[in-house]
This record gives sequence, structure tokens and C-alpha cells, in this order.
Amino acid sequence: MNEGHDIIQQVCAAKKDMRAADDFISAYMPFIKAETAKFLKRPPIEGRDDELSIAMLSFYEAIRGYARERGGFLRYASILIRSRLIDYHRQERRHSDVLSIHAPAGEEALPLEDTLADRRDHSGELVEREATREEIRALTRQMAEFGVSLGDVADNCPRQQRTLEACRRALQYARVHPELLEELLRTKRLPMARLAGGSGVERKTLERHRSYMIALLLIYTNGYDIIRGHLKQVLKGTVVR
Amino acid sequence: MECHPGYAILLDEEGRFLKAANLRYEVGQTVCDPVLMRDGGTRPRKSPVRWVWRAVAAVAACCLLFFGVSSYLAYRTPYTAIYLTINPQVRMDLNREGLVVELEGLNADGTRLLEGYDCGGKDSVTVTGELVERAIALGFLSEGGFISCAIDAPEEALFRQYGMALRDALTDRLDGRMTVQVEIVAGRDAVQEGPDETPQVSPTAASPTPTAAPTAAPTAAPTPSPTPTAIPSAAGGGQTPGYEAGDYGATIDPPAASPTVAGSDYGSAYGSGYSAYGSDYSSYGDGSTDYDPDHR
Repeated sequence: MNEGHDIIQQVCAAKKDMRAADDFISAYMPFIKAETAKFLKRPPIEGRDDELSIAMLSFYEAIRGYARERGGFLRYASILIRSRLIDYHRQERRHSDVLSIHAPAGEEALPLEDTLADRRDHSGELVEREATREEIRALTRQMAEFGVSLGDVADNCPRQQRTLEACRRALQYARVHPELLEELLRTKRLPMARLAGGSGVERKTLERHRSYMIALLLIYTNGYDIIRGHLKQVLKGTVVR
Repeated sequence: MECHPGYAILLDEEGRFLKAANLRYEVGQTVCDPVLMRDGGTRPRKSPVRWVWRAVAAVAACCLLFFGVSSYLAYRTPYTAIYLTINPQVRMDLNREGLVVELEGLNADGTRLLEGYDCGGKDSVTVTGELVERAIALGFLSEGGFISCAIDAPEEALFRQYGMALRDALTDRLDGRMTVQVEIVAGRDAVQEGPDETPQVSPTAASPTPTAAPTAAPTAAPTPSPTPTAIPSAAGGGQTPGYEAGDYGATIDPPAASPTVAGSDYGSAYGSGYSAYGSDYSSYGDGSTDYDPDHR
């Protein structure tokens, strides 16, 4: 009884705190592996079986979606992991007639990817990835000054296309009026009234997605060229008043 | 953008930050075909069964509320009124169940009599008894006193029921303690004239008797025994019967000697000697107490 109560307390803590969620997932890895093994009918191999990653994501979903009226947490998580793995398995079955690039091919039984001509610039990619990583770190640090984490932004991100477009309109307005971005950096506060008034987006919408707007505006200040390059499509076709 | 044991945060080309399964991703990596986290994980799904239960609960709550309000209104709605006159004059409002829902003093003494008295959940008999006790304690009622109960009931049966119950209760309560006249009449008119005028209805009875023909003989004494006790009064609806109070030997001391009134609809219930019953349901076997039902 006490044990169940402890788990619920841990789940409640994990819901609110990203780090607590990570710790909780790590602590329950044996359970997650056991559930995956039940599905795979063999022990999952960490770092190779996607199913284990899916199971870990499902466990995280279980943390986020758990409520007391759903019964015991582990039972709930177990159901969620199993159903998610079934879905994943069905999805993957559609590609079953596609040959894996890792499948052995030829007389020497080398993986297929080794027999294909590789035109990619691996060293260039590594450099670019390192630069991207550095930008992301800088962005995360700057966001922390505003009291916002990437996890918050992901949770706060608009789900509906209409809302997403409204946020884009606000972003575009801020780009055209760089004084707004400067004000954001100076005051560490979102110039909500001017942003809403200028872009024609409802203030309530912007307030609801405050963390997301801060992240977007920071990306469009200075020094985040790679991320901005990735987001090129964001402002494509956005009309600003 | 960020990797955690259970998930990774991705930034898609449309500017959405998403959580997805961490399929051995690294920060800064561009990924294709991620397994995204489902929103259902963050928000509990509302199952149809739960909606059905909620609907059922809502309907049940509405029904309970409806019946609760109806019951309360039925409880609070006065159906019958009893006007108790000693000298203090008090009106008792009774609901259909016979419980007193409101008490009101109709004169200054009545208000004084009710001071600090709570009638909650009590029936008319209890309240009348307790008020009589209070009247005795406050000096409103003493030996040779007079109690009038005017019952304003919409049904004759109810009037009979309350009348009998009050008569019996008062008889029992005052038996052997003091001699008072008790009058039970139908309607309110008799009382509205005020306590000072109550003697007009006291010992005589001109109330209707369904069984007896109206043969009001002023000379006939209703108590044939040498020690008559029952003093019939009960003027139906306040009509002046035309009898003097002394005609029937209004008060007779020894209650034990009360005669059983022959021909009474209520058998021997008139025995106390200080009760006089008016109204259309009492007849005192002397044939002189006659009631006309139309006088209610």
C-alpha cells in the first residue's frame, strides 16, 4: 500500500519536474525492459531495439497522463507500453517489403549500406552538428534567463494549425519591428501588448503560448543562424499587417 | 534539440517543438520519421462510459433536487390552521403531515406565550399541550379557565381528526390538575372575534351532528348524571347558539365522574368533565346538542 503511494508521489513529482521524470524513468528501466521483453518475446537490446525507445516514451506518456482514478500506475503504464508497441509494430509492418540498408547483401554478406556509394560528407556533417549543438546550448542558456526550458516550450507549443499561424504572424511582426526583439532582450519580458496590437493576434493566444513565443523570438534575435536556417519555412507565406 | 532518457525534443521545419521517442538521437542531429509523443498521454481521455455515468449522475442529482425542493415546499406549505385561544391567542399552521410549520401570536399575550418556543418538527397535539403548559406557567390559564381551539381545515375528516386528537390530549394533560373549559370549533370565525368574546361559544353546543336531528332545546341539560363532567361547548363556526354558559353546567370538578355520553360518535372519550366539544362530530346524548353541518 505504502509502496503504491510512494510511486504515485514519484509520478506526481515527475509530472511537474523534467529532471524527476528522467530519474523516475531511469529507476524503472527494468520494468520498461520487462514490458518490452514481453512484447518482443526476448530481452530488448539497449541501443539497438527501437521498441525499447518506444516503450520508454510510452512510460513517459504514462507519467504525463496518469491520474489516480486510472488505478495502479504500473498497471496503467504496462497497458500503455503494450498498446504503443502494438501500434508501432503495425506501422512498421507496412515497410516490411522494404529492404533494410543494414541487411546482409552479396557473397561476402556485407551490410547493404557498405556496398552503396556514399556521397555524404561525414566530416562536414560532424562539424555542422557540433556547431548546431553549440547553438542549441546557447539558446537553452538564454532561455533559462527567461525561466523557460525546451521542455516547457515543447509542452507550450501550439497544436492547432490556426494557433501556429497566429504565433507566426506575431513573430513576423517582431522581425519587421526589431525594437520589439531588443525590448525582449533588455527587459526579459515579452512585449505582449505591442505584439498583440501590432500583429492583430489575440493577446490571450500569445499569453497561452508565452514560452513558445519567447523561444521563437530569441531564435530570431541574433546568433542562431543554423536554427533559423532550419526554420526557414516557418515564415514562408506569412503576411504581416 | 534536447535528449532525455524517455524522449527527445525536436524542432520541426514549421517551428513546432515536439517530444518524440529518443531513437538513439544526438543533440543537433537532423532526424526523419520520428515517433512523436501522443497528446493523449498528457491529457486523460474522456471515455464515453464516463460521460454516460456523468449524465446519469446529473439526472439523478436533478431528480433529487426536484424531489427535495418539492418535499420541502410540501413540508412548508400550510394546509390547516389551528387558532388556540386561552387569553393568549396563537395561530398554528400545519402542513399536510400534521406538523406545525409556523406559529404566530395573534395578540400581545400570544406573542409573549411564544417567546423562545420552538415548534420545529412537532405535531399540533404536542405543540398545543406544550403551549397550554406554558400558559399555566405564565399565569394565563388557571382554575376555571377557558381554552378554545378553532380548527380551520379544508376537509371535514381532517377537522374531526385534529379535533379528537386535541380534545384527548388536553383532557389527558389537564385531568386532575384543574378544571377548565375546552372548546373545539370549526373554522376561524369564532376566534377572530377575540378572546373576550369567547364565552358566547363556551359551554353550549350548536354545532352539527350528522346523526342527530337539530333539536336544540335550551332547557335540556346535557349531563344527566349527578356529577356531570363533560361540558359540551363547540359552537360550530362561531354561530351563537343561543344558550347560556350555565345551561349545561359548564365545569364539573371531578373528572373521574364524567359520564360516558351516550350516542357520541367518539364513544367514551368525553369523560374528563372539563371538556366540551363543539363541532359537527359531537353529540351529547341528551338530544339537546345539535349541530348543523352547514354551520362550519
